[in-house]
Amino acid sequence: MNDTRHAPIRRIVVSVNGASTDPLVVEYAATIAKPTKAAIVVLHVVEIDWTLPLDGSAAGLSEEAQRILDIAEASAERVGIRLEPVLLKARNVGAAIVDEAAAQEAELLVLGLPYRTRFGGDFVMGTTVPYVFKNAPCTVILVREPMPEDGA
Amino acid sequence: MFIIVVGGGKVGYYLTRELIEAGHEVVLLEKTRARAITISDEIGSVVLARDGSEGSALAEAGANRADVVAAVTGDDEDNLVICQMAKHHFAVKRTIARVNNPKNELLFRHLGVDEIISPTRMILGSIEQDIPVHELLHLADLGGGDLELIEALLAEGSPAIGKASADLPMPEGCTLFAYIRADRAQPVRAETVFREGDKVIVIGPRDCEDALHGTLIGTEVEAGAV
Repeated sequence: MNDTRHAPIRRIVVSVNGASTDPLVVEYAATIAKPTKAAIVVLHVVEIDWTLPLDGSAAGLSEEAQRILDIAEASAERVGIRLEPVLLKARNVGAAIVDEAAAQEAELLVLGLPYRTRFGGDFVMGTTVPYVFKNAPCTVILVREPMPEDGA
Repeated sequence: MFIIVVGGGKVGYYLTRELIEAGHEVVLLEKTRARAITISDEIGSVVLARDGSEGSALAEAGANRADVVAAVTGDDEDNLVICQMAKHHFAVKRTIARVNNPKNELLFRHLGVDEIISPTRMILGSIEQDIPVHELLHLADLGGGDLELIEALLAEGSPAIGKASADLPMPEGCTLFAYIRADRAQPVRAETVFREGDKVIVIGPRDCEDALHGTLIGTEVEAGAV
């Protein structure tokens, strides 16, 4: 089995989606990046459904996407690092994150997961996180939001 | 071009893969979730695990902007419903249906499916070209099925043997336009005299087959011969 514990991390892809975990994800990635001066790419994927062409204009979505990236950059500035923002449009967020991590030749992919439960109390993981876990070519760190004090 | 393929069997899978490789935008609808995931793992996130015979699934797949909808499930009824919905509800420019039972072809045409692909008919045609099962061989439909291309083998006893093309009493609407002699196709001219073993290509309406049989084959037509 390959031992990757000491592989130097030079490039980190951080996926943000406008959720409450975004600042947490950026700060966590910054903590890892600082000692090795690794570059951080902050990625936001806008999911476009099949009723619209992928190369068409997504009015309203672009502004929201820019706002999400701005918040991520502000979080990074607070901890003294710079981010390289990337905005993508795709049919499937998970596939786009995996493809971008591969294209960036990232050694680490960091993404966040808000603590959400369904009616009845079951924890909700969604579809993107399992897809990325299964398909990402690099190490993946999932930053789960702390459990709310009322137990969700 | 944006193409919706419905049915993720062997045909749908390879069709989708080829279309993607050709640079088209494609979405595949496959109702069996496990199969949809398998295909998605192999060719990427272009698969929706939905039943394409439901209008909501076609809407989700973007039928409103599709250039082509190809219904290639193994079920003729589903393929017909999919094409009809695509054509009449979403105004898709071109619908293509796979027809498994050749007896359903006419129904598909009458109900407005733009193009019909019948693997059964193709294989049958290919077999008949080598071993003529009937004297008149249906080669292709033209103009949405109004006209057809027919090949007739002039065997011993054919009333056309020894006659010039201009002297043959061709049925109304039928035209002789080529013949094949010694594996060489040649255009039919007024002075062309037919010989035993010639294969004659005719364009004509479907309902002229019986009369054509009398002119070129010369015997009573068998029921359902073509």
